[in-house]
Amino acid sequence: MADTNSDQATIAREQLRANMVRLADGDSAALEKIYNATRVKLFGICFRILGDRKEAEDALQDVYINLWQRADRYDPTRASPISWLSTFARNRAVDRLRTGKVRGGAVPVEEANPLPDEAPLADSLLVDAEQSAQVHTCLGTLDSKTSDNIRSAFFDGYTYAELAERAEVPLGTMKSWIRRGLQKLRTCLEASEAT
Amino acid sequence: MSGEETMPERDMPERDDAMMAAEHALGLLEGEELLAARGKEASDPAYAARKAWWEAHISPLSDEVAGMEPSPEVWAAINAHVNSRADSQGGEVVDLQSRLRRWQWTAAATSAAAAVLLAVMVFAPGTGPTVSPTPDETPMLAAADPLVAQVPIGDTGLRLDLTYMPESEKLLVGAIGLTADGVHDHELWLVPEDGGELQSLGVVTPGEVRAHSLDEDVIRNMGDGVQILLSREPLGGKPDGVDAGPVVAEGAFTQV
Repeated sequence: MADTNSDQATIAREQLRANMVRLADGDSAALEKIYNATRVKLFGICFRILGDRKEAEDALQDVYINLWQRADRYDPTRASPISWLSTFARNRAVDRLRTGKVRGGAVPVEEANPLPDEAPLADSLLVDAEQSAQVHTCLGTLDSKTSDNIRSAFFDGYTYAELAERAEVPLGTMKSWIRRGLQKLRTCLEASEAT
Repeated sequence: MSGEETMPERDMPERDDAMMAAEHALGLLEGEELLAARGKEASDPAYAARKAWWEAHISPLSDEVAGMEPSPEVWAAINAHVNSRADSQGGEVVDLQSRLRRWQWTAAATSAAAAVLLAVMVFAPGTGPTVSPTPDETPMLAAADPLVAQVPIGDTGLRLDLTYMPESEKLLVGAIGLTADGVHDHELWLVPEDGGELQSLGVVTPGEVRAHSLDEDVIRNMGDGVQILLSREPLGGKPDGVDAGPVVAEGAFTQV
């Protein structure tokens, strides 16, 4: 079973990678395949950051149109395609937040409307388990206060100022917590990379 | 450091570029700091690489985010955008509106009679009309002025645009915006002023601008004020030996 799953995962990732390359070569038809394989995951990310369905759909549309226009930015030799796309979607969503149009984040879990059981399997197949374990392990080495704030920045798109306000600590304190946390995180990630 | 940090912690780590890249990747920055960071990302490859390193490493966290199904309109909008661009790049999807504008532009240019050349109009999506004089018909000034006619189609706001170039023996028939119903064609007829039988000017191609070649005995009857009829026919036009179908529109040529 496990082998079958990992085979399927490898195939799904490689198909996505191949479609990204085809898109970069100007094959617009590849966009629909990429969309079908990744829309659920990327929409989840946009919604989590923006906290508004309409905004998240606008962001998602923006993500794929941008991808189509500039697919050549993806380097298939350097990044896992789903990791790259997730980053791309998250960055677009955070950019929207920072332009001040919406204040999302902190979506209550029940509003987040997770998919029922028929959720496309494609998502979980695309995940790179090893890379995923790395960041979780390293976050686990931080004190919980620090890792909670770093995770909140990642998932909810909070700025330093917003995190400080929520934690009811001075801005400088929050910056200090997070910067020290990021330094430790980097050391840990680099160490696990070297092995 | 900015003045807002009134309570720096004793062991605040130094905020070098590497740290800024981490903060940037995580999305902590805003305002001027964010602008500065974006500027650095665009201009400093080492900084951009460091930010990308962070992004690649924290990206797996998003696996924890529950997936959600976007509404079908999202793909429809993406697809429409991609197709409209593909069209302007020579794709097969025809944007009738832009073709209509091009045709109107062409018609305006055509009306400048003295400048009109013998021409084959090639309508390629996205490239605009290409006027390419055929080699054996050297461009020359019009010896006679073109005839034009508009045939409004009911109250649809649509119309046929006809342009006849005396030297070319061709009639340009623009039927932009019209769509085929799949069971009928429409045929254009010239009504000779001498009271003779109707003469066919050809079957209209919906949505297209087509050059129809005219026979000599038809050309003889072309002239200012000559009436044109449009009849509804079976597919392919009026069959031989059968009366023409009902007249659905009419117009008349005017000399420009």
